[in-house]
Amino acid sequence: MSDISMITFNNVEKYYGDFHALKKINLDIKKGEKVVLIGPSGSGKSTLIRTINGLEEINDGQLLVDGYDLASDKTDINKIRKNVGMVFQHFNLYDNKSTLENIMLAPRIVLKRPENENHKIAMELLDKVGLADKAANMPNELSGGQKQRVAIARSLAMQPKALLFDEPTSALDPEMIGDVLDVMKDIAQDSDMTMLVVTHEMNFAKQVSDRVIFMADGEVLEDSKTEEFFKNPKTKRAQQFLSQVEHH
Amino acid sequence: MITIAGLFTFDNFRYLFIGLMYTLSVSMISTIFSFIIGSIFGIIVYEKIPYFSKFVSISVDIIRNLPLLLIIFFVYFALPKIGIHFSIFWSSVVAFTFFEATMISEIVRSGINAVDIGQFEGARANGMNNIQTMIFVVLPQAYKKMIPPLVSQFISLVKDTSLATGIVLPELMYRGQIIYGQNSNYMVPVFVILAIIYFLVNFGLSRLSKIIERKMA
Repeated sequence: MSDISMITFNNVEKYYGDFHALKKINLDIKKGEKVVLIGPSGSGKSTLIRTINGLEEINDGQLLVDGYDLASDKTDINKIRKNVGMVFQHFNLYDNKSTLENIMLAPRIVLKRPENENHKIAMELLDKVGLADKAANMPNELSGGQKQRVAIARSLAMQPKALLFDEPTSALDPEMIGDVLDVMKDIAQDSDMTMLVVTHEMNFAKQVSDRVIFMADGEVLEDSKTEEFFKNPKTKRAQQFLSQVEHH
Repeated sequence: MITIAGLFTFDNFRYLFIGLMYTLSVSMISTIFSFIIGSIFGIIVYEKIPYFSKFVSISVDIIRNLPLLLIIFFVYFALPKIGIHFSIFWSSVVAFTFFEATMISEIVRSGINAVDIGQFEGARANGMNNIQTMIFVVLPQAYKKMIPPLVSQFISLVKDTSLATGIVLPELMYRGQIIYGQNSNYMVPVFVILAIIYFLVNFGLSRLSKIIERKMA
């Protein structure tokens, strides 16, 4: 972890019509930091993470990602997306492409990576997520857990500076969750990539993250070191939330 | 005694066959052009580019709601008055192309709409720009969904070419009329023959689309 900021929110506001989805968000995430974002559903976690790569636009305030101002007209959003990967709840693999092609497509057309090298990197990544034997399969031939591991490999193939995870295990059958979390743990331990993970997996948060951000009703209520958060949650909302999820 | 033996001559069949070739060539050329133009219109409308998309979508709505015969007459009779001349053949192609393009643009727009939003987001989050997302991820999936409505649109195009009789394009329908014009006893059998030919061509097309659909599934 370094002292240089990767993602900075300054008084960010987001509305959907009359609904105030993000309220005065202030956050500073450093390069290489592993951060987990938790909170009850509807608290704005997904909205927040989706503003970082411009899938949602902010209405007010300032959002800096890797030094670029997202609200500025001069910023080329594609440049940011090249460096900030995202793993979705519903995988979003390209249904018309094989597993291998899913991984190779963006590096080929966005990074213009030479075909040999592209293939080699893609196969290494498939191997890393334990799916080298599924290279030729189409997404509809994979289980949810396999799809998500391919989606992670696809994001990694772009060699991003930051990787966002939007509830990566929420749509999975229970027996598939472990495999995906293991892959994520490996990445967290091996790389100096910034990771921001929206999740309900408290054990994952405890084992992997440096820091926990707790959100409710569109606000950041707590932002503290992981250990501290789980030992001494400061707000009533966080205490309630933890007692509820930990009974499961 | 009504005799129709004189109808079934080699010359008459050759005459109809050339008509069929006109029908098919106007259909095919218009299909290719209207597919390209219709796709571009559909994508423009989908992309909601300020003013431009609105302009295209209003133009599409206007043309779509006009009778095809009016458009054919407009291209052949009215455009020359403002200095734009096309032959009968190319007037037909221009009229059919624009009319079909407006229909196809709607099919393309709704085909793109039918692609899951996650496919766009996956590609955008993966670093692809709008155009790359369209070309490599969205359109291949959208066209697959569009095969049935596109084919039925092309079948109606083949049938609609008979309207070009109105500007004396020597296509199948027109030539049928010429033949029974010589002897009114030929009228019923000529209509039967025309019906069989149109049916075979269009039924063949719809079978073909089923095969393509199955191959791509």
